[in-house]
Amino acid sequence: MNHSIDWRHSVRVMVVLAILGLTAFPIYWMLVTAMTSSGNLFASPTHLTPDLKQWPVFSKVFGETPVAIWLKNSALVALGTTGLSLLLAVLPAYALSRFRFAGVGLLGLGLFVTQMLPEAMLVVPLYAIFGQLSLLNTLTGLILVNTAFTVPVITWILKGAIDGIPIDIEEAASIDGCSRLGTVFNIVIPLIAPSLAATAVIAFFHGWNEYVFAQTLISDAHLHTASVGLAGFVGELSTPLHSVMAIGLMYTLPAVFFYLLVQRYVVAGMTAGSVKG
Amino acid sequence: MSSITLTQVTKVFVSKPVVDKVSLDVTSGEFLVLLGPSGCGKSTLLRMLAGLESLTSGEIHLGQRRVDALPPSARDMAFVFQSYALYPHMTVRRNMSFPLIMRQFKWWFHIPIIGHLAKRRIEASPEVSAMVDRTARILALTDMLDRYPRTLSGGQRQRVALGRAMVRQPEVFLMDEPLSNLDAKLRSSMRAEIIKLHRKLGGTFVYVTHDQIEAMTMGTRIVMMREGVVQQVGTPRDIYANPANTFVARFIGTPAMNLLLARMDAPQGQLEVGDQKFALPAHLASVTVGGSQDVLLGIRPNSLAIVDPQDKRGLAGTVSLVEHIGADSIITIKLDSVKTAHEGDSESDASDEIMLTKSGYSNLSAGSRVGVTMNLDNASIFSTSSGQRISTDLSVTCPVDFKN
Repeated sequence: MNHSIDWRHSVRVMVVLAILGLTAFPIYWMLVTAMTSSGNLFASPTHLTPDLKQWPVFSKVFGETPVAIWLKNSALVALGTTGLSLLLAVLPAYALSRFRFAGVGLLGLGLFVTQMLPEAMLVVPLYAIFGQLSLLNTLTGLILVNTAFTVPVITWILKGAIDGIPIDIEEAASIDGCSRLGTVFNIVIPLIAPSLAATAVIAFFHGWNEYVFAQTLISDAHLHTASVGLAGFVGELSTPLHSVMAIGLMYTLPAVFFYLLVQRYVVAGMTAGSVKG
Repeated sequence: MSSITLTQVTKVFVSKPVVDKVSLDVTSGEFLVLLGPSGCGKSTLLRMLAGLESLTSGEIHLGQRRVDALPPSARDMAFVFQSYALYPHMTVRRNMSFPLIMRQFKWWFHIPIIGHLAKRRIEASPEVSAMVDRTARILALTDMLDRYPRTLSGGQRQRVALGRAMVRQPEVFLMDEPLSNLDAKLRSSMRAEIIKLHRKLGGTFVYVTHDQIEAMTMGTRIVMMREGVVQQVGTPRDIYANPANTFVARFIGTPAMNLLLARMDAPQGQLEVGDQKFALPAHLASVTVGGSQDVLLGIRPNSLAIVDPQDKRGLAGTVSLVEHIGADSIITIKLDSVKTAHEGDSESDASDEIMLTKSGYSNLSAGSRVGVTMNLDNASIFSTSSGQRISTDLSVTCPVDFKN
């Protein structure tokens, strides 16, 4: 019996290690590539470990390229998208969950319709609109367009989470003196904190990784985000791979750290409301 | 303390009245119990009192003040939910302080950090702390003030819910089946706690339950409801001894009152049950039904006694089931010559079985032949057509408008 249990545990560990390997290996390979000299990149046999002597590549990249500015812009756009998305999604999610009114179903469906439109299709009309609103070439404009894409998804996720809160608790709050808005701030939002964290991750990564609008709506080099700056590194004649990978690694790590901060809320948030507590 | 007056209160859901023209007076300091089966409208009535449901029509007054248009927070009524409805993200102390914090609410409490600090300051203020600590002492919650609801047992959560209601010092306490989620033993002890609390606080309590034992032990008056209509209002003793109709008769008392088809001959002073004739007791002899008439005889299981099957005083029958419940035995008997009127009742599927309680352990078994005698001193008579009690005291036959 004990042997049977150990065998299953070993298989489980091996599967987890395999999945971990598959997902972590690209990041590791970026590190190896960044810390391998140009001459050895395509050498045989392939270098499987980073060359620690190549450590100055990171400081060189920081010195020779505006990667710090790109990362700052990406951070501003990602955090701005996250904050604005959550701010705009909470109350509609509450309304969709708690209020019954004519057209509530259509309204919900309407939120999904926006997700069917590819970004590339909207670039030209949005460019024209933003031009008239003087939002071209601004990080504010980029935050607004990213928010427009994330709010529908976040609204639906938060609606599901709010559905899982027993109505009794809100009624108790109203008897205790809470207005509807007070109930949302004092009771609902704290109880959907895991879902807020999960949706924050969604909004952050959308803002962090977004390329199409960042490339189209921003023309000034000092306003480029890291996704645009990194793409610009792929040259017509030569691509300094180790520099690209070094920047790519620096581009990846903040997002990974952000996820590590909120990861324990993500699964809880995604499944909140699915089982009656 | 305040009295409550309900005047023709009605609630209609999708053209179906779930509370139908209920008029009641609840005197100040009373412990009124709303009792009835599931779906009878008692919880809806309580929620309308609290302001959690709107009225379709009618009025609710708290003292001299009309409150049916006011929001829940303006009615000065505390509500204890069946599910306790504790705030899971707040400690016991914060749960109990919350109503007092909300009393001092300002619009800028919505601002994230500033509001949080302001609320904490109110919670820590001497007045609020003293009130919470005093209430926690009464409910033996002092050691649990810094714990979260998820770490508490059912009984402890119930006490926190009571504490949250008490700190507000409201005019009225409304309780919606607060003990139904507890096990039998805990329910019994919490019942006693609530009764003591009522005596200590002296407030007006309106309590909803489907459990007749809770109603009989806790209430100063009981309001029996069925399908949105009040069937009877009275003290537990009145309702038990003088049920207004067959529904109340069968709902109150365990085992339920037996309803036997009988023929009443008032001029002769006789009651014919099966093949036996009984002399009408004084309290039934005064009822005039006009000659001979079919009636339903309501008789409690403890007013029946087992005799020898050859005893001519008794109604002959066969034992169907014997249940031993510790100090007593419940014996189900199928009578030979008597029909019963136990409609839609799960206790007895057959139409001619009665239930009888006997003190001590019964040696009878299924299939035994027995005779059953009846003590009619506390019996009731009901109309076979309407199910209403036939009595010279008309006040217990009116199903509507129970204003004092």
